[in-house]
Amino acid sequence: MIEDLRQRLRALQKTTGLAPGAAEAQEAIVPFGIAALDDALGGGLARGALHEISAPGEAHLAAATGFALGLASGARNLLWIAEDMALNESGTPYGPGLDLFTLAPERLLTAAVGHRRDLLWAMEEALRCRALGAVIGELRGGALDAVAVRRLSLAAATSGALALLLRAQPADDASTAATRWIVGAAPSTAQTQFGPGAPRFAANLIRNRRGPLGSWILEWRDQDERFILATHAQPVAAPPRHRPHQKVA
Amino acid sequence: MLSLWLPRLATDRIRRLREDTNENLAPLVIYGKRGNADVLTAVDEVAERLGLHSGLALAQARAMHPAIDAIAEDAAANAALLEGIADWCLRYTPLVACDAADGLLLDIGGCAHLYGGEQELVADLGRRIARAGFAYRVAIAGTIGAAHAAARFGEPAAYASGNERDILNPLPLAALRLEPATVASLARVGLKRIGDIIDLPRSPLTARFGVDLLRQLDRARGQEHEPLNPRLPVAPYVAEQRFHEPIAREEDVLGTVEKLAARLGIALERRGDGARRIELTLFRTDGAVRRIAAGTSRPLRDAQDIRALFTERLAALADTIDPGFGFDMARLSVVTAEACPSEQIGIGGEEDAGELVRLVDRLSARLGASRVGRPVSLDSHIPERAAATVPAQIVKADQGWDAFRRHRAETDLAPRPLRLLTRPEPIEALAEVPDGPPLRFRWRRALHDVISAEGPERIEGAWWSEPDAHAADNRARDYFRVEDKSGLRFWLYRSGLYRDLVRGDLANAAPPSWFLHGTFA
Repeated sequence: MIEDLRQRLRALQKTTGLAPGAAEAQEAIVPFGIAALDDALGGGLARGALHEISAPGEAHLAAATGFALGLASGARNLLWIAEDMALNESGTPYGPGLDLFTLAPERLLTAAVGHRRDLLWAMEEALRCRALGAVIGELRGGALDAVAVRRLSLAAATSGALALLLRAQPADDASTAATRWIVGAAPSTAQTQFGPGAPRFAANLIRNRRGPLGSWILEWRDQDERFILATHAQPVAAPPRHRPHQKVA
Repeated sequence: MLSLWLPRLATDRIRRLREDTNENLAPLVIYGKRGNADVLTAVDEVAERLGLHSGLALAQARAMHPAIDAIAEDAAANAALLEGIADWCLRYTPLVACDAADGLLLDIGGCAHLYGGEQELVADLGRRIARAGFAYRVAIAGTIGAAHAAARFGEPAAYASGNERDILNPLPLAALRLEPATVASLARVGLKRIGDIIDLPRSPLTARFGVDLLRQLDRARGQEHEPLNPRLPVAPYVAEQRFHEPIAREEDVLGTVEKLAARLGIALERRGDGARRIELTLFRTDGAVRRIAAGTSRPLRDAQDIRALFTERLAALADTIDPGFGFDMARLSVVTAEACPSEQIGIGGEEDAGELVRLVDRLSARLGASRVGRPVSLDSHIPERAAATVPAQIVKADQGWDAFRRHRAETDLAPRPLRLLTRPEPIEALAEVPDGPPLRFRWRRALHDVISAEGPERIEGAWWSEPDAHAADNRARDYFRVEDKSGLRFWLYRSGLYRDLVRGDLANAAPPSWFLHGTFA
């Protein structure tokens, strides 16, 4: 009797993609090609799931944006939905710069929204569209409705598109996102005469449904269009002791 | 041609606003300034029975009947009301024009049989107008002039085309839409009725009273063509549906849209067209008319797609559609059509593109067409003009990025930032004079120590296209890509050159200043 109920429960969980590891088989996984990172993520970044990327502060948003674009670099078509506030504050995506960052602007579709509910609606609508490989939603401050986030996860699971939420500040609201990252800029191997080196990211995995957390310094390799683990130019700071995001997780 | 005259539009409007129903009303008059005096411009039925008429001075009317209810005229509100009625009349024919300040013209050629004949159409129109609380007179005739004259001065009826002469003969000359001065001078020589001049020799009439008189007469008699100037352009494809029982639910409206779209689809397919802009007109039982338009990014003729489009439009304005007691008629018109090659089935890539196009249409319908865009590359070396976002529904196949890539490879262009601020933001910077990169700068109250910098990349202003080549934002810029201590990468520029300052060029006297224009990953 109890075993029977358990089985039914498992079946239900499987369809909604909630059970850890249950839906893994169907989901495509994109490996980073970095052993330490792939191990923590259970093979790589799961497509068909929602991932949250926050910058540690406003100034680091461009780095977080770059990280998100790096994750989405395999997508044939990409939709970037942003709240007006975010575009006014942090700047609009700039075609020539995107082109340099391996995202051919022809593949990009942008949408500006005035309301949080329009953002969530547009993201959900876009995630149901099979022609898009990735959807980036950029929002400004404020907590997200847990139900809406849940809906995004489900929509992503149905189409297999990569759903990314981009925020300028780390949020501590509950979320059903598969992973949650805080990504900021890290000093590059700068040589003062020749200008800044390849961009580096301090990626901090603070929530992971499938495995352990961790933090890495990643470097974007333009030629290979992928991240590599940077040789540590500086000692990596230990993750902060106080992490409010994890309390609710 | 049907002429509808609302003789008491102004007073009926006030009565409707007040929802007056009882019979024992105070006489209502509308007054306005004519010259330097307040003069009655409209009177209601009660006031007319008391002997008041428009043109009378307000003071005199008050002296005659102290109990009158006098209200200042509001021409704009009357015009808006007439426009509203004109919209409502679209239910009879798409060709509706305003006629003077208180009348409408409807071209009902080819439409009357839908109602079972002209008499029935007039009866239907009259019943609805009267129920809305308007006094009205309707006449149908072969020409605009004759219908206008008959509605205002003659016996309201439906006259067959061809006997305009009989309609016009007994009517006063004012019925010909002439200048009041012309009518007065005609009256002075004893010509009062149209019949008086209809057979007179033409050249003396023209010499004495101007060309306008005979032109209006010819037009009324159908000897000269007078085109109707409809308020709205006539859609090339129209389908409509009337309901015996008004519909109010959104699903019903959408179901109707789909049904009408299917009908339009057949017509569109026959002519090889697709819809680029579609308008849905909903007629509410109480006379209000609601028009909702939606654009598409490629010619469309599939009923399902059109329904999906309007689902989003309705969702976007859910709080304003207000069905009231329901809609009793719906019309779907294709306002803009475009040649559309017939559908190709198969080939995965094509299908994918179709899905993307449908997504763009849905997003544009809900968020607004200008808010869903694609980046295009423009031919400019000034960073903020080198790229723009163009509405995704109208973007061309070639977005110019191939040309940009060629240009970048040829000129070895310095890196461009990932995000560009909408306006460059001024910063306080400490830099080596004259051409050095900044060593330290303050942006949004935070201090950044520059560790490494790349540059300068000099970008000169567009002196050839600017009306004022020495404008402050048109100075030469030196761009630097810098990285600060924590690894943040910025795109800064110095606006203006120290060289100009040294030369003492007066126009460029302002010292160079620093701006932050974008951020790199």
